Amino acid sequence: MRRSLLDIICCPVCKGDLQLEVEEENPEEIICGKLTCKACNVDYPIEEGIPNLLPRI
Amino acid sequence: MFYQADQIYPVQEDTLLLKKAILEEIKLNDNVLEIGTGNAEVALSIVGKVRSLIVTDINPHAVIHAKKHGLDAIRADLTAPFKCCFSLIVFNLPYLPTDKNERIDDWLEFALDGGPDGRRVFYRFLPSLSRVLALGGRLLLLISSLTGLEEVLNALFKEGYSVEVLLSEKLPGEELYVIRGVYDKKKSVK
Repeated sequence: MRRSLLDIICCPVCKGDLQLEVEEENPEEIICGKLTCKACNVDYPIEEGIPNLLPRI
Repeated sequence: MFYQADQIYPVQEDTLLLKKAILEEIKLNDNVLEIGTGNAEVALSIVGKVRSLIVTDINPHAVIHAKKHGLDAIRADLTAPFKCCFSLIVFNLPYLPTDKNERIDDWLEFALDGGPDGRRVFYRFLPSLSRVLALGGRLLLLISSLTGLEEVLNALFKEGYSVEVLLSEKLPGEELYVIRGVYDKKKSVK
């Protein structure tokens, strides 16, 4: 996913901000990593450039 | 990054009708969200013609397919992971009335199954729409006569949308509609 998407996505459950942790990135986008909602204490994975933001609680 | 093409809703009459509608609707400065992109045919038709374009699907095969075609794809349930504000939201609703014994239990199910009255996903989607649609933003929603045109139009109107049927197409046993809604809080009659 492109970094600019961070501005428009939120936790699918509480709608709070997500914190990005990058494991692999190229000049265009984040390939692998995770998006964390600290309020819900939940990680949402980014795999092969696709964030999985399905609610998981 | 592998996916099964047979687990993605194929291009059908509804896809093509929505594609026709979106090509008439888009403006160069639109920030577009397509929910349930499926085969991505609609989204791919507007690449480079709008300011931004994001597609989602609940189906993992569909998001991988979209990503492989160069789209910004997010696996999501309806509008759940988005903040404000899109100027145009497009959704080919899972609109077929489906009884429990008709369910097929695969990923295509999510593209089709509208619950017993065909409006279950619509009623889950509607309350969240105003959170992610800019004031004055537009919705293009594809439904069928089987879903209940009057019920869908009335529900949108009550939530503060000006509504019209933009396009329609008669098929054997049903008629497809592209509904255009414009979000205008002042008109809410809640």
